[in-house]
Amino acid sequence: MRDVEVVSRHAGLSRAMFSTWAVVVYVFLFAPILLLIAFSFNANKYGTFPFTGWTLHWYGQVYGDYQIRDALSTTLKVAFQVTIISTIVGTAAAFPLVRSRLPFRSGVRIGMTLPIMIPGLLIGVSLLVLLTDVFHIPLSPQTAVIGQAVYTTPFVLLLVAARLQGFDPSLERAASDLGANTYRRLRHVVFPLIAPAVFAGALFAFTLSLDEFIITLFLIGAHNTLPIYIYTQVKFGITPEVNALASLLLLASLILLAFAFTLPLVARRASLAVRRRRVA
Amino acid sequence: MDYNVVHRWTFDNYHYFFSVPTYMRTVWATLWVSFVATAITILMAFPLAYWLVRYVRKSLQGVFLVLVILPFWTSYLLRVYSWINILGDQGAINRFLQWTHITHAPVSFFLYDRPAVILVLVYLYFPFAALTLYASLERFDWNQFKAALDLGASPPTAVTRIMIPQMKAGIVTAVIFVFIPVLGEYLTPQLVGGTQGVMIGNLIVNFFTGAQYTRGAAAALLIAALIVVLLVIFRRSLEVEDPTRA
Repeated sequence: MRDVEVVSRHAGLSRAMFSTWAVVVYVFLFAPILLLIAFSFNANKYGTFPFTGWTLHWYGQVYGDYQIRDALSTTLKVAFQVTIISTIVGTAAAFPLVRSRLPFRSGVRIGMTLPIMIPGLLIGVSLLVLLTDVFHIPLSPQTAVIGQAVYTTPFVLLLVAARLQGFDPSLERAASDLGANTYRRLRHVVFPLIAPAVFAGALFAFTLSLDEFIITLFLIGAHNTLPIYIYTQVKFGITPEVNALASLLLLASLILLAFAFTLPLVARRASLAVRRRRVA
Repeated sequence: MDYNVVHRWTFDNYHYFFSVPTYMRTVWATLWVSFVATAITILMAFPLAYWLVRYVRKSLQGVFLVLVILPFWTSYLLRVYSWINILGDQGAINRFLQWTHITHAPVSFFLYDRPAVILVLVYLYFPFAALTLYASLERFDWNQFKAALDLGASPPTAVTRIMIPQMKAGIVTAVIFVFIPVLGEYLTPQLVGGTQGVMIGNLIVNFFTGAQYTRGAAAALLIAALIVVLLVIFRRSLEVEDPTRA
């Protein structure tokens, strides 16, 4: 873009202005999170300014708190079930969406991905009425699983569909020519190719489920997941213990997402390496 | 009066909703807050996208983009919560003001009001807008920009007359991606909005927790209908971003 700079008279000035703006934006995006993490190490028992010294005390408290342990185990149980359901349903749904000649395909696509766009609040209250008032199912972590799966499945669906789209159909035709039946085509051709997207989708669903708040709030009844626990604590004000718990949760979701994003890359590299070895 | 659901078709719940002035005020307040938050988000995100595409080396653009999206992938609840740490009665701003003896008692101005809601909403949905605007600006042909400058246009004129008209689809997508989720916000007004910042989402929750299911359903369907109408109207420009359409 250098030649743009030559013709523009105030090039240096506008460059400086835009760069300053970028710094402001990044500070705006990261200051709240970094401050939260900093406060979690602060000895001040009100969990805010001023800094009165570094401590790991609050992390120790998080570790010893049985309510948090309870919430953690519920969170993980829900997240595992949500991951399994949404991975299977999302992957299966991606096939007709990409491959079949469904009537109203674009309408079906919008319908299937609508839960991403619809505010979680509406998913939560509508499922609350449906489950309790129509089906008379008592609220439990299982109802929260249903609600969260409604929201996470479209993410898996979109990831797998994108992968299926970029998939050479002649590979499958070649497999049929060589006598492979539907199962073997799926097992040896299709699945290895879409596997990175399926795993990335599963990790995605797991992370989304860990952090999901609003749908869970309506559907979980008397139980707590970690976000629900934090919410009930926040109502009474900031505590350093919640700051510590929040920092741990942030760290967990960042690690999981790093996996979800790098997994397809790693898988591609590994499969390339394997292929090269076979050739050699 | 009991609150059991009576199974009979009726428009009474909608009629009731529209007849209560407080509810209508909340509807308008919600639309206003969503509008302002969306406008600020786009106005903040555009210069950032412009900076990224024009001044940052291609190899580094990806890194800066990931940095924008990173906060978005962390917990939604925690991102709202992190602002209470800053804006609250005991938060960073108040502590700072008291520490420097500008004020002696905590000032609630920073929290429990509409500006705080808008600030946090902008924070929450900024990555959506930045990402979409970047994607749209990245496809822009800078030769046209150069041509405009050669023909004597100032850079601002080139941006408004040449660049922005070509980014229309991207801008519409960004607006939709911010405006729609904001319409259904519940947590942000609940945690930082106080009585002044109430939005439709809070109203719906109040109906449901008060076991007024039918009235809550009416209010919920109003938002859902609005969202679907917006999506249908802008479907054309949204399809550009659909990953299932390679």
